[in-house]
Order: sequence, then structure tokens, then C-alpha cells
Amino acid sequence: MPLFEKIQYKPVTVREVLREMKNLSELMIDLAYSAALYNDKDLAEDVMELEKRIDTLTYHLEMTIMVAARDAKDAEALVGVSKAAAAADKISDAAADIAAIVTQNIGVHPIVSEIFERVEERLAKAKVNEKSVLIGKEIGELKLAPRMGVDIIAIFREKDWIINPKENEKVKAGDILIARGTHEGLKELKELCEAKLDKLED
Amino acid sequence: MAGKSQKKLEEIVERFVELKDTSELMIDLAYSSLLLNSKELAEEVQRLEEYVDKLHTEFELLVLSSKFKREEAKGFLGLIRLGVVTEKIADAAAQIAEVVLRGIEPHPVLALAIEEAEETITYTKVTENSPLVNKTLREAKIPEETGMWVLAIKRGEKCLRPKPDTRIQVGDILIASGYAEGEEDLKKLASP
Repeated sequence: MPLFEKIQYKPVTVREVLREMKNLSELMIDLAYSAALYNDKDLAEDVMELEKRIDTLTYHLEMTIMVAARDAKDAEALVGVSKAAAAADKISDAAADIAAIVTQNIGVHPIVSEIFERVEERLAKAKVNEKSVLIGKEIGELKLAPRMGVDIIAIFREKDWIINPKENEKVKAGDILIARGTHEGLKELKELCEAKLDKLED
Repeated sequence: MAGKSQKKLEEIVERFVELKDTSELMIDLAYSSLLLNSKELAEEVQRLEEYVDKLHTEFELLVLSSKFKREEAKGFLGLIRLGVVTEKIADAAAQIAEVVLRGIEPHPVLALAIEEAEETITYTKVTENSPLVNKTLREAKIPEETGMWVLAIKRGEKCLRPKPDTRIQVGDILIASGYAEGEEDLKKLASP
């Protein structure tokens, strides 16, 4: 049986928690498909971790909504929020189901991955090494899309996720970048992160 | 693997990509329907949910009829599971859209959480004389020209998730969102 974290009421900002749930659940789907189609255990584990986080967020959000409703009118206004949160939770569960294909060693037929690669872009993650040339640069100025056909869709930094980072977000040492793009582009980005490549080519 | 089964697998993957794209498109449309309290979009999501159910059944039948070898069974189980998940995602999207169809006025906090700058939704049909015909979305530069963002492209029974390489065809219906001023510009571009 899995271990469940003890949950206690704590007031949360509905807007922020719901936004986080929506963004994380969408990121999870992308991560999970990539994990399953390219048999990436590491990505699959990330999805499983995020799923737990969303579960906890759902509890906090639901409790805050319950406390906030004082009358029938409030209840009517808030039920939509609760439903949207439940849907985001369901989407994250679905992502975890996709990741389970990898963690339970079921896998997807290799030819499927091969065909899929031709029609869809994939995701990859890369850790920014202390010597990487990317450090201190803004995402916008790196111009990764025109250069190598890669987009950074999220950054994992100090146990927090920055989803769809802004153009002026600076890359820091220790960041884990989640990027979408072509196979070659992602390989190049990885080499830049790991300081195996030390300059950005035009 | 023989050419015949390779072709079958290509067909399976094609079907799966459609399931995956449609379910993700539905999430976008569902949140937009909630944000704009749009019954029309919410109904589109419900309609797509039924379409996904149908597509999912076809997908499963296709996988099951592909006569895989015993040692390949696991790989095909993985495919079936992927299909099940797309269906779950579609259900979650339908659940979001249901809030709108039940006449619940969305709480303002939802708009703050969804964080999209949308004011209006517009449906525009692409006519024969439109400069958009046969252009890809990348070439068409619709957001730059009109300030409208294409959420989905309706093509017959299908609803496509817009990708930069998606080519616009005569008769497509563009479902776009943005500020009210852009609506006229988009109409002029799509059906001049």
C-alpha cells in the first residue's frame, strides 16, 4: 500500500492553487506521453511525483472552498471551481496512468515510438551544469527555437516548477530544463547544459 | 517486420495521434468555455467527447485485429492503455464544460486562474477566395494580422488541434479567441 501524507487544513489562495493545478496537470500529460513513447523511466518518475503533489493540492483547495462558502449563493458560485479542480486532478491521474506504462515495465511497441517520432515532437530534460554557457542568459536571448528547433516549456528549480517560463527568465546553475523539440535539437541543448558544448551556434 | 504489419502499425499510430490531439484540444476548449461562459464551446467539447468515444473504440479494434506475436503482446497492451488514457482526458474536459452547460455562472477566480487574455470566441468559415487557403498556420500569421488566436479548426466531423504545420483548407471553420476588435479582421481574412 502506498504511504499517504497526512493532510491538515491550511488556507490557500484558490486562484494560485487552481492555476498551479491546471498548469502542472497539462505539463504532466506532455511529460507522461514522452515517458511512455520513449520508455523514459526518469520522466515517468517525475510524473508520479507530480501526481502526488496535485492530490495534496486538491485536498487543500477543496477544504478552502468549503470554508469559503457561507450560503447557497456562494456554494453555487464555487461549485464550478471545485469541478475544474477535480478535472485537473483527473487529468493528472490520467498522466500517471500513462507513466505507469513505463514504471510497470509494460512499454509501448518500439516501432510505435519510431513512427511517433516522425509525427510528434518529443520532450527531454537536461540539468544545467555549473560550467554551462547558458547560465545567466535569458531564455529569450538564447533564441533556441530558430537556432535548434527547441522550446523550453518548464524549469524545475529548487523543488519548484516554473511552467512556460517568460522570455526574461534567466537560466541558473542546477536548473533542470524541460524542453520540447526535434531529436537533434534536444541533443544539442543537453550538451550545452552539460557543458559538453561551449558555444551557441547560429 | 513485414511491410504489411508496418503499415497497420502506422495506421494505429495515426489513429492514436488523433485521439491524443483531440483530447488535449478538448482541455483547451473546455477551459475557454468556462472562462468565457460559452455554451457553444462547451457543447463542442461534449460533442467531441462522443467523437473520442467512437474513435477510441475504432482504435482498440484496430489494435486487437493486428495479429501481433505473443512476445509483442506487452507492447500492444501499452498502446491500449494509452488509448484508455486519452479517453479519460476527454472525460475530464467534458466535466469542465459541463459546469457551463448547467448554467453555473463561473466564479471570477476561474478567470484569474486560467490566465488567458480572452474576451470573445468567434467561429469563422474559410471561403474559397480567402488568402488563407492552402497556407499553413505558420505562414498565415493569424495572431499577428488579427490579434486572434486559433483554438481549433473544425473540419467536418473532426476538430483539429492547431499546429504550425496545419494547412488551412476551404470550408474549415476556425474557432478563435481574442479581443473583440480582432473578430472583424479575422472575418475579413477568412471570408472576404
